[in-house]
Amino acid sequence: MTATVLLTARELEWRAGERTILGPLDLDVRRGECLAIVGSNGAGKTTLLRLLTGLLRPWRGELCYSDRPFAALSRRELARRIAYVPQIRPSRVPLKVEEVVLLGRYPHLSRLQIAPRAVDFAAVEEALAVVGIEGLRGRAVDELSGGERQAVYIAAALAQQSELLVLDEPTLHLDARHQHDLASLLLRLKGGADRTVVLATHDLNLASLLGDRLLALVAGRPLACGPPAEILQPDLLDRLFQARFEIVRGGERPVTILDLGA
Amino acid sequence: MSSLRPRPRAALLVLCGLWIATVLVAPLVGSQAVSLHDVLRAEPTAASIFWQIRLPRVLLALLGGAGLAVSGLGFQTLFRNPLAEPYTLGVSGGAALGAVLALRFEGGQLLGLPLVALASFAGALGATALIVGLALRREGVETSTLLLAGVAVSLSCSAIILFLQYLADSTQTFRMVRWMMGGLSVVGYTEVLWLLPWVLGGSAMLLALRWELNLLLMGEEMAASRGVDLARLRFQILLATSLMIGALVAVSGPIGFVGLIVPHILRRFVGHDHLFLAPACILGGGAFLTLCDAAARTLMAPAELPVGILTALLGGPFFLWLLVWGRRD
Repeated sequence: MTATVLLTARELEWRAGERTILGPLDLDVRRGECLAIVGSNGAGKTTLLRLLTGLLRPWRGELCYSDRPFAALSRRELARRIAYVPQIRPSRVPLKVEEVVLLGRYPHLSRLQIAPRAVDFAAVEEALAVVGIEGLRGRAVDELSGGERQAVYIAAALAQQSELLVLDEPTLHLDARHQHDLASLLLRLKGGADRTVVLATHDLNLASLLGDRLLALVAGRPLACGPPAEILQPDLLDRLFQARFEIVRGGERPVTILDLGA
Repeated sequence: MSSLRPRPRAALLVLCGLWIATVLVAPLVGSQAVSLHDVLRAEPTAASIFWQIRLPRVLLALLGGAGLAVSGLGFQTLFRNPLAEPYTLGVSGGAALGAVLALRFEGGQLLGLPLVALASFAGALGATALIVGLALRREGVETSTLLLAGVAVSLSCSAIILFLQYLADSTQTFRMVRWMMGGLSVVGYTEVLWLLPWVLGGSAMLLALRWELNLLLMGEEMAASRGVDLARLRFQILLATSLMIGALVAVSGPIGFVGLIVPHILRRFVGHDHLFLAPACILGGGAFLTLCDAAARTLMAPAELPVGILTALLGGPFFLWLLVWGRRD
Protein backbone atom coordinates (compact mmCIF):
# COMPACT_ATOMS: atom_id res chain seq x y z
CA MET A 1 0.00 0.00 0.00
CA THR A 2 2.55 2.60 1.08
CA ALA A 3 4.82 1.72 -1.82
CA THR A 4 2.26 2.90 -4.32
CA VAL A 5 0.97 5.96 -2.50
CA LEU A 6 3.10 9.07 -2.90
CA LEU A 7 1.04 11.68 -1.18
CA THR A 8 -1.77 11.31 1.31
CA ALA A 9 -4.19 13.86 2.66
CA ARG A 10 -6.39 13.03 5.64
CA GLU A 11 -9.34 15.13 6.76
CA LEU A 12 -7.82 18.04 4.95
CA GLU A 13 -9.65 21.27 5.58
CA TRP A 14 -9.00 24.91 4.83
CA ARG A 15 -10.98 27.90 5.97
CA ALA A 16 -10.94 31.60 5.25
CA GLY A 17 -12.35 33.18 8.39
CA GLU A 18 -15.53 31.28 9.22
CA ARG A 19 -16.06 30.01 5.71
CA THR A 20 -14.86 26.55 4.76
CA ILE A 21 -13.20 26.81 1.36
CA LEU A 22 -12.09 23.22 1.09
CA GLY A 23 -12.75 19.89 2.72
CA PRO A 24 -12.94 17.88 4.76
CA LEU A 25 -11.28 15.76 2.12
CA ASP A 26 -9.24 12.54 2.00
CA LEU A 27 -6.98 11.92 -0.96
CA ASP A 28 -4.27 9.50 -2.04
CA VAL A 29 -2.03 10.45 -4.94
CA ARG A 30 -0.53 7.24 -6.32
CA ARG A 31 3.01 7.02 -7.55
CA GLY A 32 3.20 7.36 -11.35
CA GLU A 33 -0.40 8.36 -11.90
CA CYS A 34 -1.88 11.49 -13.39
CA LEU A 35 -4.63 12.90 -11.21
CA ALA A 36 -6.80 15.59 -12.78
CA ILE A 37 -8.87 17.80 -10.50
CA VAL A 38 -11.97 19.15 -12.20
CA GLY A 39 -14.64 21.50 -10.98
CA SER A 40 -16.24 24.86 -11.56
CA ASN A 41 -14.76 28.26 -10.72
CA GLY A 42 -14.35 28.61 -6.99
CA ALA A 43 -14.71 24.89 -6.32
CA GLY A 44 -11.42 24.97 -4.40
CA LYS A 45 -9.09 23.47 -7.03
CA THR A 46 -6.31 25.99 -6.56
CA THR A 47 -6.68 25.86 -2.78
CA LEU A 48 -6.31 22.10 -2.91
CA LEU A 49 -3.20 22.36 -5.07
CA ARG A 50 -1.66 24.96 -2.76
CA LEU A 51 -2.31 22.67 0.20
CA LEU A 52 -0.85 19.66 -1.63
CA THR A 53 2.30 21.61 -2.48
CA GLY A 54 2.70 22.85 1.07
CA LEU A 55 2.23 26.51 0.14
CA LEU A 56 -0.82 26.72 2.39
CA ARG A 57 -0.83 25.19 5.81
CA PRO A 58 -4.05 23.23 6.35
CA TRP A 59 -6.51 24.60 8.85
CA ARG A 60 -7.05 21.02 9.91
CA GLY A 61 -5.94 17.59 8.76
CA GLU A 62 -2.66 16.05 7.79
CA LEU A 63 -0.55 15.75 4.68
CA CYS A 64 2.19 13.18 4.18
CA TYR A 65 4.69 12.67 1.40
CA SER A 66 5.87 9.05 1.29
CA ASP A 67 4.73 8.68 4.91
CA ARG A 68 6.65 11.76 6.04
CA PRO A 69 4.40 14.50 7.37
CA PHE A 70 4.74 17.85 5.59
CA ALA A 71 5.47 19.50 8.93
CA ALA A 72 8.70 17.49 9.18
CA LEU A 73 9.93 18.73 5.80
CA SER A 74 11.53 22.13 5.17
CA ARG A 75 10.43 24.21 2.20
CA ARG A 76 13.54 23.17 0.29
CA GLU A 77 12.99 19.50 1.05
CA LEU A 78 9.41 19.84 -0.15
CA ALA A 79 10.55 21.60 -3.31
CA ARG A 80 12.93 18.75 -4.08
CA ARG A 81 9.91 16.44 -4.05
CA ILE A 82 7.13 18.63 -5.44
CA ALA A 83 7.35 21.13 -8.31
CA TYR A 84 4.46 23.51 -8.80
CA VAL A 85 3.47 25.59 -11.81
CA PRO A 86 1.04 28.14 -10.40
CA GLN A 87 -1.63 29.83 -12.43
CA ILE A 88 -1.08 33.33 -11.11
CA ARG A 89 2.24 34.93 -11.86
CA PRO A 90 3.59 38.45 -12.05
CA SER A 91 2.99 40.32 -15.26
CA ARG A 92 6.64 41.29 -15.46
CA VAL A 93 9.55 38.94 -14.90
CA PRO A 94 12.76 40.75 -15.85
CA LEU A 95 14.76 37.59 -16.48
CA LYS A 96 15.87 35.52 -19.42
CA VAL A 97 14.40 32.11 -20.18
CA GLU A 98 17.52 30.19 -19.15
CA GLU A 99 17.76 32.22 -15.93
CA VAL A 100 14.20 31.32 -14.99
CA VAL A 101 14.82 27.65 -15.72
CA LEU A 102 18.10 27.68 -13.81
CA LEU A 103 16.26 29.09 -10.77
CA GLY A 104 14.34 25.83 -10.77
CA ARG A 105 17.56 24.30 -9.45
CA TYR A 106 17.35 26.33 -6.25
CA PRO A 107 16.25 23.51 -3.93
CA HIS A 108 19.26 21.46 -5.03
CA LEU A 109 21.86 24.15 -4.37
CA SER A 110 23.82 23.97 -1.18
CA ARG A 111 23.98 27.02 1.03
CA LEU A 112 27.67 27.66 0.45
CA GLN A 113 27.66 27.11 -3.26
CA ILE A 114 28.95 30.09 -5.24
CA ALA A 115 27.81 29.03 -8.69
CA PRO A 116 25.59 26.32 -10.20
CA ARG A 117 27.38 23.05 -10.93
CA ALA A 118 27.52 20.96 -14.09
CA VAL A 119 24.56 18.84 -12.95
CA ASP A 120 22.48 21.98 -12.63
CA PHE A 121 23.26 23.11 -16.15
CA ALA A 122 22.65 19.59 -17.43
CA ALA A 123 19.22 19.58 -15.77
CA VAL A 124 18.45 22.95 -17.39
CA GLU A 125 19.49 21.66 -20.83
CA GLU A 126 17.37 18.56 -20.39
CA ALA A 127 14.34 20.55 -19.28
CA LEU A 128 14.67 22.96 -22.21
CA ALA A 129 14.98 20.01 -24.61
CA VAL A 130 12.03 18.09 -23.18
CA VAL A 131 9.76 21.10 -23.46
CA GLY A 132 11.29 21.96 -26.84
CA ILE A 133 12.26 25.56 -26.13
CA GLU A 134 16.04 25.46 -26.58
CA GLY A 135 15.57 28.21 -29.18
CA LEU A 136 14.14 30.59 -26.59
CA ARG A 137 16.92 30.31 -24.03
CA GLY A 138 18.39 33.78 -24.51
CA ARG A 139 15.05 35.57 -24.83
CA ALA A 140 13.57 37.80 -22.15
CA VAL A 141 10.52 36.16 -20.57
CA ASP A 142 8.60 39.42 -20.94
CA GLU A 143 8.91 39.25 -24.73
CA LEU A 144 7.29 35.82 -24.96
CA SER A 145 3.71 34.90 -25.80
CA GLY A 146 1.45 33.29 -23.21
CA GLY A 147 2.01 29.81 -24.60
CA GLU A 148 5.78 30.21 -24.65
CA ARG A 149 5.76 31.52 -21.09
CA GLN A 150 3.74 28.54 -19.90
CA ALA A 151 6.34 26.28 -21.54
CA VAL A 152 9.14 28.16 -19.75
CA TYR A 153 7.51 27.73 -16.34
CA ILE A 154 6.97 24.04 -17.00
CA ALA A 155 10.63 23.72 -18.00
CA ALA A 156 11.61 25.47 -14.76
CA ALA A 157 9.50 23.00 -12.81
CA LEU A 158 11.11 20.09 -14.68
CA ALA A 159 14.58 21.41 -13.89
CA GLN A 160 13.55 21.07 -10.27
CA GLN A 161 13.69 17.28 -10.88
CA SER A 162 11.01 16.43 -8.39
CA GLU A 163 8.94 13.31 -8.48
CA LEU A 164 5.61 15.10 -8.30
CA LEU A 165 4.64 17.78 -10.80
CA VAL A 166 1.63 19.94 -9.91
CA LEU A 167 0.05 22.21 -12.52
CA ASP A 168 -2.72 24.73 -12.04
CA GLU A 169 -4.83 25.33 -15.18
CA PRO A 170 -1.95 24.68 -17.58
CA THR A 171 -3.99 25.51 -20.69
CA LEU A 172 -5.76 28.61 -19.43
CA HIS A 173 -5.63 31.55 -21.88
CA LEU A 174 -3.93 29.46 -24.57
CA ASP A 175 -5.19 29.32 -28.13
CA ALA A 176 -6.09 26.01 -29.80
CA ARG A 177 -2.63 25.32 -31.21
CA HIS A 178 -0.87 26.03 -27.96
CA GLN A 179 -3.41 23.97 -26.06
CA HIS A 180 -2.64 21.13 -28.43
CA ASP A 181 1.12 21.53 -28.03
CA LEU A 182 0.85 21.72 -24.27
CA ALA A 183 -1.42 18.68 -24.08
CA SER A 184 1.03 16.61 -26.12
CA LEU A 185 3.90 17.84 -23.95
CA LEU A 186 2.04 16.81 -20.79
CA LEU A 187 1.15 13.50 -22.37
CA ARG A 188 4.85 12.86 -23.00
CA LEU A 189 5.76 13.95 -19.49
CA LYS A 190 3.32 11.71 -17.76
CA GLY A 191 4.51 8.80 -19.86
CA GLY A 192 7.99 9.30 -18.41
CA ALA A 193 9.38 7.01 -15.77
CA ASP A 194 8.31 7.60 -12.19
CA ARG A 195 6.71 10.96 -12.71
CA THR A 196 3.51 11.70 -10.90
CA VAL A 197 1.34 14.55 -12.14
CA VAL A 198 -1.48 16.40 -10.42
CA LEU A 199 -3.27 19.07 -12.41
CA ALA A 200 -6.32 21.22 -11.98
CA THR A 201 -8.32 22.23 -15.02
CA HIS A 202 -11.68 23.42 -16.31
CA ASP A 203 -11.01 21.57 -19.51
CA LEU A 204 -12.76 18.21 -19.25
CA ASN A 205 -11.24 16.89 -22.46
CA LEU A 206 -7.74 17.68 -21.27
CA ALA A 207 -8.55 15.96 -17.98
CA SER A 208 -9.93 12.98 -19.89
CA LEU A 209 -6.91 12.77 -22.17
CA LEU A 210 -4.31 13.02 -19.40
CA GLY A 211 -5.97 11.85 -16.24
CA ASP A 212 -5.71 8.30 -15.01
CA ARG A 213 -8.14 9.42 -12.36
CA LEU A 214 -10.36 12.46 -12.12
CA LEU A 215 -11.32 14.12 -8.87
CA ALA A 216 -14.52 16.14 -9.15
CA LEU A 217 -14.82 18.97 -6.62
CA VAL A 218 -18.01 20.83 -5.78
CA ALA A 219 -17.85 23.69 -3.29
CA GLY A 220 -14.66 22.31 -1.78
CA ARG A 221 -16.04 18.81 -1.28
CA PRO A 222 -15.19 15.77 -3.37
CA LEU A 223 -18.16 14.71 -5.46
CA ALA A 224 -16.56 11.70 -7.08
CA CYS A 225 -13.15 10.28 -7.90
CA GLY A 226 -12.34 7.65 -10.50
CA PRO A 227 -11.24 6.93 -14.05
CA PRO A 228 -12.40 9.37 -16.78
CA ALA A 229 -15.16 7.11 -18.10
CA GLU A 230 -16.67 6.97 -14.63
CA ILE A 231 -16.64 10.71 -13.98
CA LEU A 232 -17.50 12.03 -17.42
CA GLN A 233 -21.17 11.10 -17.29
CA PRO A 234 -23.89 13.62 -18.17
CA ASP A 235 -25.62 13.31 -14.79
CA LEU A 236 -22.46 13.72 -12.78
CA LEU A 237 -21.27 16.63 -14.91
CA ASP A 238 -24.63 18.27 -14.46
CA ARG A 239 -24.20 18.14 -10.72
CA LEU A 240 -20.59 19.28 -11.06
CA PHE A 241 -21.14 22.32 -13.27
CA GLN A 242 -24.92 22.81 -13.28
CA ALA A 243 -24.69 22.65 -17.05
CA ARG A 244 -25.63 20.04 -19.65
CA PHE A 245 -22.84 18.10 -21.31
CA GLU A 246 -23.05 15.68 -24.18
CA ILE A 247 -20.68 12.75 -24.54
CA VAL A 248 -19.61 12.90 -28.19
CA ARG A 249 -17.25 9.97 -27.99
CA GLY A 250 -17.31 7.25 -25.39
CA GLY A 251 -14.67 4.75 -24.41
CA GLU A 252 -11.97 4.86 -21.76
CA ARG A 253 -11.23 8.54 -22.34
CA PRO A 254 -14.54 10.13 -23.30
CA VAL A 255 -14.79 13.41 -25.20
CA THR A 256 -17.47 15.77 -23.96
CA ILE A 257 -18.99 18.90 -25.32
CA LEU A 258 -20.92 21.57 -23.48
CA ASP A 259 -24.51 21.68 -24.67
CA LEU A 260 -25.25 25.38 -25.07
CA GLY A 261 -28.66 24.78 -26.65
CA ALA A 262 -31.83 25.66 -24.76
CA MET B 1 14.70 49.23 -25.92
CA SER B 2 16.68 46.38 -27.42
CA SER B 3 19.39 48.86 -28.42
CA LEU B 4 20.37 48.97 -24.76
CA ARG B 5 20.79 45.38 -23.65
CA PRO B 6 22.15 45.03 -20.13
CA ARG B 7 25.76 43.89 -20.12
CA PRO B 8 26.43 42.86 -16.54
CA ARG B 9 30.13 42.06 -16.78
CA ALA B 10 31.07 45.10 -18.84
CA ALA B 11 28.95 47.33 -16.60
CA LEU B 12 30.65 45.99 -13.46
CA LEU B 13 34.05 46.68 -15.00
CA VAL B 14 33.08 50.26 -15.87
CA LEU B 15 31.73 50.70 -12.32
CA CYS B 16 35.02 49.48 -10.86
CA GLY B 17 36.83 52.07 -12.95
CA LEU B 18 34.40 54.80 -11.91
CA TRP B 19 34.73 53.80 -8.25
CA ILE B 20 38.53 53.95 -8.33
CA ALA B 21 38.47 57.28 -10.18
CA THR B 22 36.09 58.67 -7.55
CA VAL B 23 38.32 57.54 -4.70
CA LEU B 24 41.31 59.22 -6.31
CA VAL B 25 39.68 62.48 -7.29
CA ALA B 26 37.05 63.19 -4.62
CA PRO B 27 39.51 63.82 -1.73
CA LEU B 28 41.18 66.50 -3.82
CA VAL B 29 38.09 68.67 -4.35
CA GLY B 30 36.31 70.84 -1.82
CA SER B 31 36.27 74.40 -0.57
CA GLN B 32 40.04 74.31 -0.86
CA ALA B 33 41.50 72.29 -3.72
CA VAL B 34 44.38 70.04 -2.80
CA SER B 35 46.88 68.73 -5.33
CA LEU B 36 47.87 65.12 -5.26
CA HIS B 37 51.46 66.23 -5.78
CA ASP B 38 51.43 68.15 -2.48
CA VAL B 39 49.90 65.24 -0.65
CA LEU B 40 52.49 62.83 -1.95
CA ARG B 41 55.42 65.02 -0.93
CA ALA B 42 53.76 65.43 2.50
CA GLU B 43 53.24 69.18 2.40
CA PRO B 44 51.75 69.68 5.93
CA THR B 45 48.51 71.59 5.15
CA ALA B 46 47.65 69.55 2.09
CA ALA B 47 48.51 66.26 3.80
CA SER B 48 46.47 67.11 6.87
CA ILE B 49 43.43 68.16 4.81
CA PHE B 50 43.77 65.06 2.66
CA TRP B 51 44.39 62.44 5.36
CA GLN B 52 42.44 63.84 8.30
CA ILE B 53 39.45 65.54 6.68
CA ARG B 54 38.86 64.51 3.10
CA LEU B 55 39.84 60.86 3.03
CA PRO B 56 37.75 59.73 6.03
CA ARG B 57 34.84 61.63 4.58
CA VAL B 58 35.23 59.98 1.19
CA LEU B 59 35.52 56.56 2.82
CA LEU B 60 32.38 57.27 4.84
CA ALA B 61 30.54 58.30 1.68
CA LEU B 62 31.71 55.17 -0.13
CA LEU B 63 30.50 52.94 2.68
CA GLY B 64 27.30 54.88 3.29
CA GLY B 65 26.35 55.04 -0.36
CA ALA B 66 27.01 51.35 -0.74
CA GLY B 67 24.82 50.53 2.27
CA LEU B 68 22.00 52.81 1.12
CA ALA B 69 21.99 51.51 -2.45
CA VAL B 70 22.19 47.82 -1.61
CA SER B 71 19.49 48.27 1.05
CA GLY B 72 17.29 50.03 -1.48
CA LEU B 73 17.85 47.13 -3.86
CA GLY B 74 16.89 44.61 -1.18
CA PHE B 75 13.73 46.51 -0.32
CA GLN B 76 12.70 46.94 -3.95
CA THR B 77 13.07 43.25 -4.67
CA LEU B 78 11.40 42.19 -1.44
CA PHE B 79 8.42 44.47 -1.91
CA ARG B 80 8.37 44.10 -5.69
CA ASN B 81 7.93 47.83 -5.73
CA PRO B 82 10.31 50.25 -7.43
CA LEU B 83 9.51 52.99 -4.91
CA ALA B 84 10.58 51.05 -1.82
CA GLU B 85 13.75 52.21 -0.09
CA PRO B 86 14.85 52.80 3.53
CA TYR B 87 13.73 56.43 3.39
CA THR B 88 10.19 55.63 2.24
CA LEU B 89 9.79 52.60 4.47
CA GLY B 90 10.17 54.03 7.92
CA VAL B 91 13.60 52.57 8.70
CA SER B 92 15.24 55.97 8.26
CA GLY B 93 12.28 57.53 10.05
CA GLY B 94 12.72 55.28 13.06
CA ALA B 95 16.42 56.04 13.14
CA ALA B 96 15.72 59.77 12.95
CA LEU B 97 13.22 59.54 15.78
CA GLY B 98 15.79 57.78 17.95
CA ALA B 99 18.37 60.47 17.27
CA VAL B 100 15.96 63.34 17.85
CA LEU B 101 14.91 61.81 21.17
CA ALA B 102 18.56 61.63 22.22
CA LEU B 103 19.11 65.25 21.17
CA ARG B 104 16.01 66.36 23.09
CA PHE B 105 17.26 64.75 26.28
CA GLU B 106 20.82 65.96 25.82
CA GLY B 107 22.40 62.55 25.42
CA GLY B 108 26.04 62.10 26.29
CA GLN B 109 28.29 59.23 25.35
CA LEU B 110 28.05 55.50 25.77
CA LEU B 111 30.74 53.00 24.84
CA GLY B 112 32.71 55.76 23.15
CA LEU B 113 29.91 56.60 20.78
CA PRO B 114 27.54 59.53 21.05
CA LEU B 115 24.17 58.54 22.47
CA VAL B 116 22.58 60.14 19.41
CA ALA B 117 24.22 57.52 17.25
CA LEU B 118 23.17 54.62 19.43
CA ALA B 119 19.64 55.95 19.74
CA SER B 120 19.23 56.23 15.99
CA PHE B 121 20.61 52.73 15.58
CA ALA B 122 18.03 51.49 18.06
CA GLY B 123 15.36 53.51 16.27
CA ALA B 124 16.06 51.85 12.93
CA LEU B 125 15.91 48.40 14.48
CA GLY B 126 12.76 49.36 16.39
CA ALA B 127 11.00 50.55 13.25
CA THR B 128 11.95 47.36 11.43
CA ALA B 129 10.87 45.22 14.35
CA LEU B 130 7.53 47.00 14.37
CA ILE B 131 7.02 46.36 10.65
CA VAL B 132 8.13 42.73 10.95
CA GLY B 133 5.97 42.30 14.05
CA LEU B 134 2.95 43.55 12.16
CA ALA B 135 3.86 41.20 9.35
CA LEU B 136 4.16 38.16 11.59
CA ARG B 137 1.01 38.86 13.57
CA ARG B 138 -1.07 37.13 10.97
CA GLU B 139 0.11 34.32 8.82
CA GLY B 140 0.25 34.99 5.12
CA VAL B 141 0.52 38.76 5.30
CA GLU B 142 1.04 40.16 1.83
CA THR B 143 4.08 42.19 0.96
CA SER B 144 1.87 45.13 0.01
CA THR B 145 0.67 45.22 3.63
CA LEU B 146 4.29 45.42 4.80
CA LEU B 147 4.88 48.32 2.46
CA LEU B 148 1.89 50.21 3.82
CA ALA B 149 2.98 49.40 7.38
CA GLY B 150 6.33 50.97 6.53
CA VAL B 151 4.67 54.12 5.27
CA ALA B 152 2.53 54.30 8.42
CA VAL B 153 5.58 53.89 10.67
CA SER B 154 7.38 56.57 8.68
CA LEU B 155 4.52 59.04 9.05
CA SER B 156 4.15 58.34 12.77
CA CYS B 157 7.86 58.93 13.32
CA SER B 158 7.68 62.24 11.46
CA ALA B 159 4.77 63.35 13.61
CA ILE B 160 6.58 62.50 16.86
CA ILE B 161 9.72 64.26 15.61
CA LEU B 162 7.70 67.42 14.91
CA PHE B 163 6.17 67.19 18.39
CA LEU B 164 9.61 66.85 19.99
CA GLN B 165 10.87 69.81 18.00
CA TYR B 166 7.92 71.86 19.20
CA LEU B 167 8.77 71.01 22.81
CA ALA B 168 12.51 71.63 22.44
CA ASP B 169 14.27 74.96 23.00
CA SER B 170 15.71 76.81 20.04
CA THR B 171 19.26 75.42 20.35
CA GLN B 172 18.01 71.88 20.49
CA THR B 173 15.59 72.51 17.63
CA PHE B 174 18.41 73.88 15.52
CA ARG B 175 20.53 70.81 16.20
CA MET B 176 17.63 68.50 15.41
CA VAL B 177 16.83 70.25 12.15
CA ARG B 178 20.46 70.29 11.16
CA TRP B 179 20.81 66.61 11.99
CA MET B 180 17.69 65.73 10.03
CA MET B 181 19.22 67.22 6.90
CA GLY B 182 21.77 64.44 6.73
CA GLY B 183 25.42 65.15 6.20
CA LEU B 184 28.83 63.58 6.19
CA SER B 185 30.80 66.28 7.98
CA VAL B 186 33.02 64.08 10.10
CA VAL B 187 36.62 64.41 11.15
CA GLY B 188 38.75 61.33 11.62
CA TYR B 189 38.20 57.67 11.18
CA THR B 190 36.02 56.72 14.16
CA GLU B 191 32.79 56.84 12.16
CA VAL B 192 34.36 54.98 9.25
CA LEU B 193 35.49 52.17 11.51
CA TRP B 194 32.08 52.08 13.18
CA LEU B 195 30.23 51.80 9.89
CA LEU B 196 32.58 49.34 8.19
CA PRO B 197 31.48 46.06 9.84
CA TRP B 198 27.77 46.81 9.47
CA VAL B 199 27.98 47.63 5.79
CA LEU B 200 30.32 44.73 5.08
CA GLY B 201 28.14 42.30 7.03
CA GLY B 202 24.85 43.54 5.61
CA SER B 203 26.13 43.58 2.04
CA ALA B 204 27.60 40.10 2.42
CA MET B 205 24.27 38.84 3.74
CA LEU B 206 22.34 40.30 0.80
CA LEU B 207 24.93 38.94 -1.64
CA ALA B 208 24.54 35.51 -0.09
CA LEU B 209 20.79 35.81 -0.67
CA ARG B 210 21.17 36.53 -4.39
CA TRP B 211 19.42 33.31 -5.46
CA GLU B 212 16.47 33.99 -3.22
CA LEU B 213 16.30 37.59 -4.40
CA ASN B 214 16.30 36.43 -8.03
CA LEU B 215 13.52 33.99 -7.22
CA LEU B 216 11.48 36.81 -5.71
CA LEU B 217 11.53 38.46 -9.14
CA MET B 218 9.23 35.63 -10.29
CA GLY B 219 6.70 36.35 -7.56
CA GLU B 220 6.32 35.04 -4.04
CA GLU B 221 4.19 32.04 -4.99
CA MET B 222 6.74 30.87 -7.53
CA ALA B 223 9.64 31.52 -5.15
CA ALA B 224 7.96 29.55 -2.37
CA SER B 225 7.24 26.64 -4.68
CA ARG B 226 10.94 26.56 -5.60
CA GLY B 227 11.79 26.09 -1.95
CA VAL B 228 12.22 29.63 -0.61
CA ASP B 229 11.09 30.05 2.99
CA LEU B 230 9.41 33.43 2.53
CA ALA B 231 9.02 34.33 6.20
CA ARG B 232 12.68 33.66 6.88
CA LEU B 233 13.81 35.47 3.74
CA ARG B 234 11.79 38.58 4.66
CA PHE B 235 13.32 38.52 8.11
CA GLN B 236 16.86 38.14 6.73
CA ILE B 237 16.48 40.96 4.23
CA LEU B 238 14.92 43.31 6.78
CA LEU B 239 17.58 42.47 9.35
CA ALA B 240 20.50 43.03 6.98
CA THR B 241 19.11 46.32 5.69
CA SER B 242 18.03 47.75 9.01
CA LEU B 243 21.41 47.03 10.60
CA MET B 244 23.13 48.86 7.75
CA ILE B 245 20.70 51.78 7.70
CA GLY B 246 20.68 52.07 11.48
CA ALA B 247 24.47 52.22 11.62
CA LEU B 248 24.60 54.72 8.76
CA VAL B 249 21.90 57.08 10.00
CA ALA B 250 23.66 57.01 13.35
CA VAL B 251 26.69 58.80 11.87
CA SER B 252 25.23 60.81 9.02
CA GLY B 253 21.58 61.47 9.73
CA PRO B 254 18.97 60.36 7.21
CA ILE B 255 20.17 60.59 3.62
CA GLY B 256 17.30 59.94 1.27
CA PHE B 257 16.82 58.61 -2.23
CA VAL B 258 20.29 57.15 -2.83
CA GLY B 259 18.66 53.75 -2.35
CA LEU B 260 16.05 54.69 -4.90
CA ILE B 261 18.12 56.31 -7.63
CA VAL B 262 21.17 54.05 -7.76
CA PRO B 263 19.53 50.60 -8.18
CA HIS B 264 17.20 51.99 -10.85
CA ILE B 265 19.90 53.48 -12.98
CA LEU B 266 22.09 50.40 -12.59
CA ARG B 267 19.34 47.97 -13.65
CA ARG B 268 19.43 49.55 -17.11
CA PHE B 269 23.06 48.62 -17.58
CA VAL B 270 23.57 45.61 -15.34
CA GLY B 271 20.24 43.81 -15.71
CA HIS B 272 18.22 42.25 -12.90
CA ASP B 273 20.43 39.34 -11.83
CA HIS B 274 21.36 40.07 -8.21
CA LEU B 275 24.67 38.25 -8.64
CA PHE B 276 25.78 41.32 -10.62
CA LEU B 277 23.30 43.92 -9.46
CA ALA B 278 24.16 43.73 -5.75
CA PRO B 279 27.92 44.31 -6.25
CA ALA B 280 27.06 46.99 -8.80
CA CYS B 281 24.94 48.77 -6.17
CA ILE B 282 27.78 48.56 -3.66
CA LEU B 283 30.20 50.18 -6.10
CA GLY B 284 27.72 52.53 -7.75
CA GLY B 285 26.08 53.66 -4.51
CA GLY B 286 29.45 54.48 -2.99
CA ALA B 287 30.59 56.42 -6.02
CA PHE B 288 27.25 58.25 -6.29
CA LEU B 289 27.18 59.44 -2.67
CA THR B 290 30.87 60.42 -2.84
CA LEU B 291 30.22 62.52 -5.95
CA CYS B 292 27.13 64.10 -4.37
CA ASP B 293 29.17 64.92 -1.28
CA ALA B 294 32.00 66.39 -3.35
CA ALA B 295 29.40 68.54 -5.11
CA ALA B 296 27.83 69.52 -1.78
CA ARG B 297 31.25 70.65 -0.55
CA THR B 298 32.02 72.77 -3.61
CA LEU B 299 28.71 74.17 -4.89
CA MET B 300 28.44 76.85 -2.20
CA ALA B 301 32.08 76.97 -1.08
CA PRO B 302 33.30 77.99 1.42
CA ALA B 303 29.92 77.10 2.91
CA GLU B 304 28.93 73.47 2.80
CA LEU B 305 25.59 72.04 1.78
CA PRO B 306 24.38 69.00 3.78
CA VAL B 307 24.52 66.16 1.28
CA GLY B 308 21.09 64.94 2.38
CA ILE B 309 19.56 68.11 0.94
CA LEU B 310 21.30 67.52 -2.37
CA THR B 311 20.22 63.88 -2.68
CA ALA B 312 16.67 64.83 -1.71
CA LEU B 313 16.68 67.59 -4.35
CA LEU B 314 17.76 65.02 -6.93
CA GLY B 315 15.59 62.24 -5.55
CA GLY B 316 12.22 63.99 -5.27
CA PRO B 317 11.86 64.66 -9.01
CA PHE B 318 13.32 61.24 -9.78
CA PHE B 319 10.67 59.62 -7.57
CA LEU B 320 7.96 61.52 -9.47
CA TRP B 321 9.48 60.56 -12.80
CA LEU B 322 9.50 56.90 -11.76
CA LEU B 323 5.92 57.13 -10.59
CA VAL B 324 4.64 58.58 -13.85
CA TRP B 325 6.95 57.29 -16.58
CA GLY B 326 9.23 54.71 -15.10
CA ARG B 327 6.81 51.96 -14.12
CA ARG B 328 7.34 50.09 -17.36
CA ASP B 329 10.78 49.31 -16.10
